[in-house]
Amino acid sequence: MSTDARFLIVDDFSTMRRIVRNLLKEIGFSNAEEAEDGQVALNMLKAAKFDFVVSDINMPNMNGFELLKHMRADESLKGIPVLMVTAEAKKEDIVAAAQGGASGYIVKPFTKATLEEKVQKILQKVTA
Amino acid sequence: MASSVHAEVLDLSADTRPARGRRRKRAVAAAGAEVNDGVAIIGDTSGAVSLAATGPDAAMPAQDIYHRIGNLTRVLHDALRELGYDKDLAATREHLPHARDRLAYIARVTGEAAEKVLNAVDHARTVQSELVQQATSLRMRWQAVRLYAAGQIGAHERATPAGRRLVDETCAFFAGLDGQADRTQAILTDIMLAQDFHDLTGQVIRKVVALAHDMEEQLVRLLLETTPAEQRKRVEAERLAGPVVNPRGREDVVTDQAQVDDLLASLGF
Repeated sequence: MSTDARFLIVDDFSTMRRIVRNLLKEIGFSNAEEAEDGQVALNMLKAAKFDFVVSDINMPNMNGFELLKHMRADESLKGIPVLMVTAEAKKEDIVAAAQGGASGYIVKPFTKATLEEKVQKILQKVTA
Repeated sequence: MASSVHAEVLDLSADTRPARGRRRKRAVAAAGAEVNDGVAIIGDTSGAVSLAATGPDAAMPAQDIYHRIGNLTRVLHDALRELGYDKDLAATREHLPHARDRLAYIARVTGEAAEKVLNAVDHARTVQSELVQQATSLRMRWQAVRLYAAGQIGAHERATPAGRRLVDETCAFFAGLDGQADRTQAILTDIMLAQDFHDLTGQVIRKVVALAHDMEEQLVRLLLETTPAEQRKRVEAERLAGPVVNPRGREDVVTDQAQVDDLLASLGF
């Protein structure tokens, strides 16, 4: 996957969406769209092709876990890597995300280096 | 904010304290009898200890538990009324929407502040990028001049020592701009990442707002059950309440400077 990879950033806080979008741009991924919750994200994923999802967990309407569950149950979406970026720091949440099929998990607050490392690691796995 | 709300509650109760003190003493005695009555109704506490010790499977049927909870609720309602806490509840119920609005206000204002900073960072990044592009372009052109001045193009030196020094220093300056731009970009990234406080604090505030909303609903229900309709009074609107946290539906406040100016103009200022 190249830097042309299309990202979907899912977070109910617009500031966080902008921060992630800017960071992705800095590390070489300028093709990104935004969704304010899991339901909107799911609709966007079904309507257009995305290569990578960066999602919060605690969101209204549909949270990150539910989004992940829907994606993994959908034949056309289950191959898309999902990186959880969230303030939920409980071990059980991290375990639940891993068991649910998340590709990575970042706890807020985070650094640019952390995001870059996780994204690159996931992309390497996908392309391997 | 919590202390402010608390202070307002204290202020409201300040002039009634001596009377309430006497009333509470009488009420405590009366409530004590009722609580005792309540205990008599539900039996002694050994059952509860036994319930805790043996787990719910070995305990009494669910209907008995609901019956006991119902009795306890009734006793609590009566005790609150006797103790005069129904008035405190009414005051609390009045203040909860204010507390909720204030929390929502904090969430909104901090969000707007974060957005402003992010906008500023975006603008600064654009300026930085343009600066780097211009510097790169000029550096390449000056490098050509440097070669010419040093005589590397053609057989003879083309410039004076002072001229060559000027070209060298200009090239060094342009070369340094890249590093400076990188450092500024790193600072802008730090500023941008610092704005995640809005997400982190906002999530906590949302939970507190939801909690306040639930408490308010429960208090309203409790009040409806315990307070006679004729005794329900609205607390006088507070004065000098600070920023207007929720202007929606209010005609007694302005929401921007234009409205202030219009109002002043209508008054002849």
